[in-house]
Amino acid sequence: MSLFNQIVPRLSRPFARRSLDGQVATENEFTVKPAYELTENDDAWGLTAQLPGVTKDGLEVTAEEGQITIRGRRSWQKPEGWTAVYRESVDAPYELVLEHDNTVDTDKIVAELKEGVLRVSLPKSEAVKPRKIAVN
Amino acid sequence: MNRIIRYTYPRSASQLPSLANRSPWSSLESEIDRLFGSALGDFAAPALAPRFPIDLYEDKDNTYVRAELPGVSRDNINIEMVDGYLNINASRKQGEESFSLSRSVAIPEAVQADKVAAAYENGVLTVTLPKQEQAKPRKIAITVN
Repeated sequence: MSLFNQIVPRLSRPFARRSLDGQVATENEFTVKPAYELTENDDAWGLTAQLPGVTKDGLEVTAEEGQITIRGRRSWQKPEGWTAVYRESVDAPYELVLEHDNTVDTDKIVAELKEGVLRVSLPKSEAVKPRKIAVN
Repeated sequence: MNRIIRYTYPRSASQLPSLANRSPWSSLESEIDRLFGSALGDFAAPALAPRFPIDLYEDKDNTYVRAELPGVSRDNINIEMVDGYLNINASRKQGEESFSLSRSVAIPEAVQADKVAAAYENGVLTVTLPKQEQAKPRKIAITVN
């Protein structure tokens, strides 16, 4: 497996970025990494992430330079009068950051959210696809 | 009196043939493997574990169970109430593979088993279990003479 032309999860958290007016951006909020799966074929990478409780409104998929970020916020709020007796789930938003070497064609990314499962198709840019070279 | 006592010790090689040709570091290595295995096991857990997270809530009238079951079709969710336990069985189809998920939760208070209702939305299952009348907090007016 080569290190190039890969899409990999980001292992470290970024340093708190400072926005232009000198304030620390409030993006170092606690987040959980969702369970996800990456598949690959000749044309595209396929990402399946489990985001239970996230609706379309709370979901943000951003493709930046060499980085794809998925942020999902749970839409459900505990109704008033409900007392938690026992908890296993976490209320924190989901965040998954994947890094790639600009091998994804960001214009053609397609994402679909259905019953808490996000499926994203990340087509490879033309330069990465295997090309058959005719030999004369 | 001379007494010759021969103690026979089991030779490690004969007892545990697999240990005989291991390096002296092998136990350390396997310990390190084990530590990494358990540490990495945590990361892999949410994707592989058939145990899905469950929350238990209650209010005055109902007990609620919320289970995170993303990507399961409604037909493949089975819920039953048996002896104070709520059993949730589901199966998830992922491509050609099918995984079965199952949990059993003890419901702390007596519920009306025939009035249990469930809803599935955004990958989260919510089961509403109405409490039995005697389990509800009751207000009794007592006149003091």
